[in-house]
Amino acid sequence: MNMPEDVSATPGYSALMARLQPLIDSGRLDNIVDLLSLVSDLIDLLDAATVEKLANVFEEVTASGWAAANTLRMTRAEIMTQGKPPSLYALLKLLNEEDTRKGVAVVLKTLNVIGRQL
Amino acid sequence: MLANQLARKLYPEILRGEVSILLLSDCPDHYYKPAFMYVAFNLYFKEELKRPERSLLRPEIGFQVEKVTRFDFAGQRLKTSSGKPFSYDFLVIATGCLPAPERIEGLQEAGDHFYQYDPARQLAQRLSTIEKGRIFISVSFPQTPNVPHQCGIAPVETTLMLDDYLRRRGVRDKVEIIYTYPTTAQLLRNCLFLQRPTGEILPAIFEQKDIHYQRGFTLSRVDPDAKIAYSAEDEAQPFDILMATPPIRAVDAVLECGVSQAQNDEGWLPTNHETLQVYGLENVYVIGDTVDLPVSKAGGSCHNQAPVIANNIAAEIRLGKPVSVYDGRVQAVAQMGLNAGMPLWYDYSRDVQPTPPTKIGGLLRNGFNRGLYWAVARGML
Repeated sequence: MNMPEDVSATPGYSALMARLQPLIDSGRLDNIVDLLSLVSDLIDLLDAATVEKLANVFEEVTASGWAAANTLRMTRAEIMTQGKPPSLYALLKLLNEEDTRKGVAVVLKTLNVIGRQL
Repeated sequence: MLANQLARKLYPEILRGEVSILLLSDCPDHYYKPAFMYVAFNLYFKEELKRPERSLLRPEIGFQVEKVTRFDFAGQRLKTSSGKPFSYDFLVIATGCLPAPERIEGLQEAGDHFYQYDPARQLAQRLSTIEKGRIFISVSFPQTPNVPHQCGIAPVETTLMLDDYLRRRGVRDKVEIIYTYPTTAQLLRNCLFLQRPTGEILPAIFEQKDIHYQRGFTLSRVDPDAKIAYSAEDEAQPFDILMATPPIRAVDAVLECGVSQAQNDEGWLPTNHETLQVYGLENVYVIGDTVDLPVSKAGGSCHNQAPVIANNIAAEIRLGKPVSVYDGRVQAVAQMGLNAGMPLWYDYSRDVQPTPPTKIGGLLRNGFNRGLYWAVARGML
């Protein structure tokens, strides 16, 4: 590729062109430019309200996933440390604990809300 | 953020019942304080900036709403306003700082700021109704040498947001904005920002936006009736709105613990720059605004201090000594006007290298404020 002398003397430009040359030769550079155009279009389309909605979705997904992972990890750890399965009496006693009742309420309410949306 | 990282780091010990983590807070809710400056421009509701603290903590962490009123470092105990005592093996003080406008005569009565919700709402009321006049911006540094005010870039951010906001309202040509900076700004003198590279580009940015600026104005007194701000350099400046970065101080329990040697009863704890331990105390660490470090009192500092403290406490428990070092790193996306943002980072040895603010930077900051922050608080990012 012929380059003006002052440009070809720029090491960064020469290195970049060397990397791009195979893409240019095979016509694939067009795809990269098209992709950059698409990214640029998306940035133009984004506004504060869209970012707010996306950020809210991000928080809802990450917070739900985090809470579910926490629950599974802690439950598993507590069951594993007990050595043998809990007795029926222990299970009934667990059912009467405040945290358990709150958890059961969440599960039942979740089913209720699912039903409401059907 | 730190409690969650500690719980992850010390999970084996927690499972074995050898370690427990307890967070005490004087409030059941956690506020994203950095966004209070947006409240001043009617951009956020209070409800969007708060989450129940419990919802941000891993379930292995205990949480109690108790205001610490006294530290008994010798006895490794804390006293709380309810009278309930708490003991500890390791303590992390994360009590932040408080705006103290009452420390400058007249500022409480005549000044506005955006570092807490209610004052930010009051400022919003004024900024949304001013039709003409003069908005005077002042910055007060702590008197403790080489300690910055809260969030170093905030005065620049809000000045540029103010310019955009008034243009949006169509009154910018009738409202003069004057940005001032005190004579002493940490290690610099007669500048416009606490770091030289950023300070040097500010005049061009301000001139482009017709924002007036003045170096060497150290706010010393305000006359609320005449609406005049006086400086320690014997200058008087009239204003219609005084948007101030006020003096700050540590919370009462820290002020009264007797450990701080900071000037002007500001209360900053003497902090080991590297380990973040409090000098002179056993097994006590400090994070965030209560440190006496030269880096910004901002969330971007806590973000980098938290993993160091988590590592060091885990190392003290497992190896008998701290192993991690804080390099002073702070990162953030500065809000440069209502729509543009400028990612920045610095540490103890390198200043911020300012780059042109961009729309992508603004979107990133907005996304962080609205969603990413809560993942950071949960220790996920």
